[in-house]
Amino acid sequence: MTLQARQISKAYGAQRVLDKLSLSVDAGELVCLLGANGAGKTTLIRTLSGLQKPDSGEVLWGSKSEGIGALKLRRSIGLILHQPFLYEHLTGFENLRFYSRLYETGLGDADLRKMLGRVGLGSARPISVRGYSRGMKQRLTIARALLCDPHILLFDEPYTGLDQQGCGMLNQLVLEESARNKLVLLTTHELSYIRQVATRFDVLHRGKIAASIPNAGISLDALQEQYSAVVSAGKTTRKEQA
Amino acid sequence: MLSVLAFLLVLFAFICMLFFTPVEQTMGLVQKVFYFHMSAAWVGMLAFLVAAVFGLLYLSRRDMKWDTLTAASVEVGLLFTVICILSGMIWARPIWNTWWTWDPRLTTVTIMAFTYIAFILLRRGVDNPTRRARFSAVYALIGFISVPLTFFSARLLRTIHPVVFGGGEADMNLNPQMLATLFISLVAFTVLYAVLLLQRARLMAQQDKLNQQVAVTDDSYDWGE
Amino acid sequence: MKAWLHSVRVLIWKDLVQEWRSRDILTSMLAFAVLSLFIFNYALELSPINRADIAPGIVWVVMVFAGTLGLNRSFTAEQDQGCFEGLIMAVPDLSAIYFAKLLTNLLMMVFLAVLVIPIYSVLYNQSLFNWAFFGVLALGSWGYSAAGTLIASMTVQTRMRDLLLPVLLFPLLLPVNMAVVKSCGVLLGSVAGQDINGWLNLLLVYDVIVTMLSIMVFEYVIQE
Repeated sequence: MTLQARQISKAYGAQRVLDKLSLSVDAGELVCLLGANGAGKTTLIRTLSGLQKPDSGEVLWGSKSEGIGALKLRRSIGLILHQPFLYEHLTGFENLRFYSRLYETGLGDADLRKMLGRVGLGSARPISVRGYSRGMKQRLTIARALLCDPHILLFDEPYTGLDQQGCGMLNQLVLEESARNKLVLLTTHELSYIRQVATRFDVLHRGKIAASIPNAGISLDALQEQYSAVVSAGKTTRKEQA
Repeated sequence: MLSVLAFLLVLFAFICMLFFTPVEQTMGLVQKVFYFHMSAAWVGMLAFLVAAVFGLLYLSRRDMKWDTLTAASVEVGLLFTVICILSGMIWARPIWNTWWTWDPRLTTVTIMAFTYIAFILLRRGVDNPTRRARFSAVYALIGFISVPLTFFSARLLRTIHPVVFGGGEADMNLNPQMLATLFISLVAFTVLYAVLLLQRARLMAQQDKLNQQVAVTDDSYDWGE
Repeated sequence: MKAWLHSVRVLIWKDLVQEWRSRDILTSMLAFAVLSLFIFNYALELSPINRADIAPGIVWVVMVFAGTLGLNRSFTAEQDQGCFEGLIMAVPDLSAIYFAKLLTNLLMMVFLAVLVIPIYSVLYNQSLFNWAFFGVLALGSWGYSAAGTLIASMTVQTRMRDLLLPVLLFPLLLPVNMAVVKSCGVLLGSVAGQDINGWLNLLLVYDVIVTMLSIMVFEYVIQE
């Protein structure tokens, strides 16, 4: 399955966020979306998940463009946004079980406990999520996103709140999913971690994918350099014009 | 052009009301409030229906102009509804010696006014324009549906509890002159409503444009770094 | 259809467990209701004869006001933790979310009635045990919850939240209020035997229309 965005635009009132953006991610790819704060990464993720419709252009999931109208399609997307989608008075296990039942995954209690173990919450005390730290909530929400074994993983800043161990765990997870021919697109500022696993880096700048940097063993410094070059390219031009 | 027509029609209706129609036997001069009172009521209901229809149009077409029209219709409708209630009270006082009756129509119209006010407060409480438009459309729809239900329940109340004093249905035999004047009033008020609606909508649209300019779509957009 | 019912069941169970664990809504609704009954006693200073007449009115008014506490909170988890979007991605149809909340809110109202009615009976020394009365209260609660759930799903996303709910909801509830109070007055015997079929029909029509309309427009409320 390929995830494609074709010439999508989105503006909030006077503010243009996405400007005829085109993007394509294939199964097995692990794409990291880079961009400054406010560049539109979250908007793009939300549009790709179908939660938000672009003002113009279209998003294609595989060959289908009907978006989240189709239940099967919705359930084949694993989504992580800034808010964790968790219910505060349920325990971590109960949250997973709730979503598992809602998704009709058919997973048993043992499978759910295995999932918890996979994200490093296997030995967590059975307290309600209200008592969880930010990092624990993030681990739980990652588990939640993977419950229905989605084909498409859209993660917005998934490293937020995770400690070093957690970041390593996430890296391993996305690598495993990618190896299983899943499609992964995530946004992050944690270049040091994502550099180890991404197949390519797309830079979102001025509403478009300004650059697409393949990860052929690129060093962290080189990546930083290329990123800065792309982002400041526009600025230089304007300065020259002035 | 339409405004001139509205002005002339209302003036004409007013003149008819004053001079053309006879003075009613039992109620006297105050009965003449009836023509404008009834026309205002009619417009109040019409405005609500129109708002609900525009709301539906917004939900299906997602063009902001429908939302502007919905909001404008509600505001103008509220104005006419208040006119209706006040004129009704002015009429009721000398006739039935009371400012208020729990007459089904009056109850319905007042509830309609409250729904209108609630609508306006709802719009105030939402900053996001598309969300505001969606919510307005939904509330206009459900508000409109509740009007006939309110009317029937108020009427049911009346059949079971006939009002003991005053507040009886104003049983008027309308002679041809009265009917004609009433008709003219209805038309005049409807045209007036249309004029006010369009003016208000235009003003709202301009205010919106001022408050949040729409994004430039060509390459001249300033990314402001 | 089966999937829809299944998701409704799962959603209701989640809401009930959440509420049972926190007991925020139930306790505050109960406290509010009991205190209101006390206030009514001093505000109205009724002789036993008059009390019988207005018992259904008092009970229903208390339920309506206390019910807003529950309605206001019914969507806060979804709004504050972003769960709306989690649910949108998972359920077969968005109407399942609405319907599940409607039933949860209805259960809250039932819970309220189960507690308020005996307490009223004790405080005012008047028995309200009458199955027809309970039936009408249930019908009224359905209409209340149907309209209330839709309005709450909107107001939770506004700036003014709790403040806005009664303003938006109460004008829509007039038919329900009238129907419940008037027909219960007859059923409890305080008003001489009148035909209440008109009221019951009105209540049924209201419930059906509002529920169906809400199901149709709900997706526009929670989704862009």
